[in-house]
Amino acid sequence: MAFLEVKDLKVHFPIKGGILNRTIDHVRAVDGVTFEVEQGKTYGLVGESGSGKTTTGRAVIGLNHVTSGKVFYEGTDITKKQSKTKALRKDIQMIFQDPYSSLNPRKRVLDVIAEPLRNFEKLSKQEEKKRVQELLELVGLSPEAIVKYPHEFSGGQRQRIGVARAIALRPKLIIADEPVSALDVSVQAQVLNFMQDIQQELGLTYLFISHDLGIVKHMCDDIAIMYRGRYVEQGTRDDIFNNPQHIYTKRLVSAIPDINPRNREKQFHFREEVQREFEHSYDDYFDNEGLAYGLQPISGSHYVALPEKG
Amino acid sequence: METNNVNMDDQKQDATKSPSGFSIIWREFIKDKVALISLIFLVILTTLVYGVSLFLNQEEIVRVDLFAIHEPPSEEFILGTDYGGRDVFGQLIIGTRNSLSIGILVTLATGIIGVVYGVVAGYFGGQIDNVLMRILDFFLILPMIMTVIVFVTLVPDYGVITFSFIMTMFLWMGIARLIRSRALQEKELDYIQASKTLGSSHTKIIFTQLLPNITSLIVVTMTLNLAANIGLESGLSFLGFGFPESTPSLGTLLSYARNPQTLEFRWWIWLPAAILIFVLMLAVRNVGEALKRAADARQRRG
Amino acid sequence: MWKFIVRRLIITFPQLVVLSVLVFLAAQFMPGDALTGSIGNPNITAEQLEQRREALGLNDPWYVRYGDWVSGVVQGDLGESYRFKMPVTELIGQRIVNSFWLSVVTLIFTYIIAVPLGILSGRYNDSLLDQSITGYTYVGFATPLFIFALVMLWIFGYQFGWFPTNGSVEPGLTPGTFDYVLSKLYHLILPGISMALIATVNTVQYLRSEIIDTKQRDFIITARAKGAPESRVYNRHILRNSLLPIAAFFGFEITGLIGGTIFVETIFSYPGMGQLFLESVTLRDFSTLVSVVLLFGVTAIGGALLSDIILSLVDPRIRIK
Repeated sequence: MAFLEVKDLKVHFPIKGGILNRTIDHVRAVDGVTFEVEQGKTYGLVGESGSGKTTTGRAVIGLNHVTSGKVFYEGTDITKKQSKTKALRKDIQMIFQDPYSSLNPRKRVLDVIAEPLRNFEKLSKQEEKKRVQELLELVGLSPEAIVKYPHEFSGGQRQRIGVARAIALRPKLIIADEPVSALDVSVQAQVLNFMQDIQQELGLTYLFISHDLGIVKHMCDDIAIMYRGRYVEQGTRDDIFNNPQHIYTKRLVSAIPDINPRNREKQFHFREEVQREFEHSYDDYFDNEGLAYGLQPISGSHYVALPEKG
Repeated sequence: METNNVNMDDQKQDATKSPSGFSIIWREFIKDKVALISLIFLVILTTLVYGVSLFLNQEEIVRVDLFAIHEPPSEEFILGTDYGGRDVFGQLIIGTRNSLSIGILVTLATGIIGVVYGVVAGYFGGQIDNVLMRILDFFLILPMIMTVIVFVTLVPDYGVITFSFIMTMFLWMGIARLIRSRALQEKELDYIQASKTLGSSHTKIIFTQLLPNITSLIVVTMTLNLAANIGLESGLSFLGFGFPESTPSLGTLLSYARNPQTLEFRWWIWLPAAILIFVLMLAVRNVGEALKRAADARQRRG
Repeated sequence: MWKFIVRRLIITFPQLVVLSVLVFLAAQFMPGDALTGSIGNPNITAEQLEQRREALGLNDPWYVRYGDWVSGVVQGDLGESYRFKMPVTELIGQRIVNSFWLSVVTLIFTYIIAVPLGILSGRYNDSLLDQSITGYTYVGFATPLFIFALVMLWIFGYQFGWFPTNGSVEPGLTPGTFDYVLSKLYHLILPGISMALIATVNTVQYLRSEIIDTKQRDFIITARAKGAPESRVYNRHILRNSLLPIAAFFGFEITGLIGGTIFVETIFSYPGMGQLFLESVTLRDFSTLVSVVLLFGVTAIGGALLSDIILSLVDPRIRIK
């Protein structure tokens, strides 16, 4: 039994149109995604914007309506809202992409972080305040911050408040939706390292959504590449970065900048080569509609979307 | 217009201490003298009108006195008398009180209906929104003034309460639409989504997350609506489909001007009421506009 | 774009149906029917009345009567006014012409005032001129139409005596003569201007902010940078972009006029639809009332439809909805 298991998940949004404004088609934001996440690990979902990675994360936590497929958490089916018990809700939390809109501008930090506590734990005012202050300290903010409003903080600090709120209930699984993409590069590393620290401390599992391969390489144990709602390749960090099989993954990996200037020439040639291969063999990797094929196993951990042989 | 320098001011504010809602509003009024004067005027007028009318006897004032018909302003009647020999000044005080009361009552009632309707439609969206908006559309088809007039004539025991009820029935749509579109935007923001993942119920999210963020919009809209409603009520009373003569409003005094003789020769009956309605509406609007600017950081003057 | 117009027309149809049902049902709640006028006539017994009722179909269930009524309305038969003792169609015919001309004159004045004021105030924004125009729109916004019209009548009609104070034409003139037309026009000016001065403030404000907004757009800055003279920038680029949306206001203006005519026609004793509406309410002439409300409702729906269509022609962005 896997910790988190997603089976053939599909999330389709209707497109309205025509004279009567009927549903004429669907956007297949997530179109048949299957994966498992082990406890204590970080599972990375990578893809360009519109690839369905965020929708996948939101569908797991129940913010998006699941068209078909199943989500299991510790063996329990949590696809339907009704089947989620209070304890389950408590176990799965989310960190949002935009630290500006994810905090209610009218609430003081105390109220922001205490919101989950008030929903699940009956604490006295004193205990609540103490817990919030502890949490603030944990995320590296001053406990005096509780009386301030979100706009009095910088983006990085706000994201830490968001993290404090997400870990307030001691969850087991956190869905981190591009947690640092709205932040300055200088702050990104701080927040990421901090996230790794609390992962160790609290034994967290992350479903880490990002478009930045560099960050994913730094953070994740297992990685999946998404393209237009489907998986393109899935494997361990090693599989993806050192042995990319799909042409789309190869392009992405080749695009990671290398800091060492001596490798510049090599890198440039490598990129050109990949680009040639991409143009040349595009049809081998994508079907008529330009979508990825079904996943085929390469090794025990490594899966690639390739047309079925024969 | 003046966005640039204001933005700089905003940043300065952020750097120091964030001002509370009241101090922002207060600063806006200090900066906008017209709005400040309007506010003071409104406060004085309201206390005066409600205060003085305590000592006035409404029945005494609306009693017909055939020996004092159409008296021009004199020491006994500061603003003369109308065709029934009734004191115009007394009617003006009571009329202002009645106009203000019904204006406030209708504004509050339409505000509550509109906010509830708009928030429910906007927050829940989907089918609920669809159904609610279709119902609202049907109300919008009706020519409002005419519908109110027709209903006023249809209602059997007509009085102040039924009149406010009828007005409310056909005036809640504007604010409902406004709140709905705002709620629709707001609920997509991450802080509402976050609340959902944190286990807050819909009711809790609406009351503790959504509403505090649209309060300023509600307050501003309702203030501006108050001005419009006072105008509308006096207009209907002017046409003879508002307050009955026994309960004079500002519009009732104006309706005497529908008699050409009164309009041409007896200005003291209708002109004070006309000026008062105009000034009242302008003052309420000034306050509303100042609140509106205070609510929107880009437009603030203070 | 055709799709949008067709869809918009399809929405209009149920609106008309609902309006007519509501109006019809309201009429059912009103006391009295086409024969109420005959009650109390000693020559007709209650039995005879009942028979005629039956013959006229007044005892049928409401949906049958609704069907009859609608088919009558579609054929232009609005029933009989029992107060004015004439067919409603005829009664309305006289008044609607007057209201039509009042609306036309008002609209002309509205645009004559709005376009130059809006352009001046937008082009020279924050100048003294702009401030006075903005001041006017601000005050105009807060002024109830009926008070303004009343004061206008008092000052220009009674105190100065420049304009006629009631009616739509000097009595005693023969229809068709030049004097008759002139007198009609003369009667239209004061009510028309009164309504226009209030109705126009929306358009002025809109035009002003539209021009100020367009002025700062990149394509205008580009045009200036290319060295286009200021007049050309305004005539070719800014005005074209700002004036077109004004066209779309046309339909809304029409809808707005409906409420206005009721007040203005009462104040100026102008025999139009608004006055007919009030008369029929006061006299409880329900067949007339129902028809007038229906007509106003249809006009309002038509106005909104017109605006949406113009808007979709003018602004491609609106079509996606």
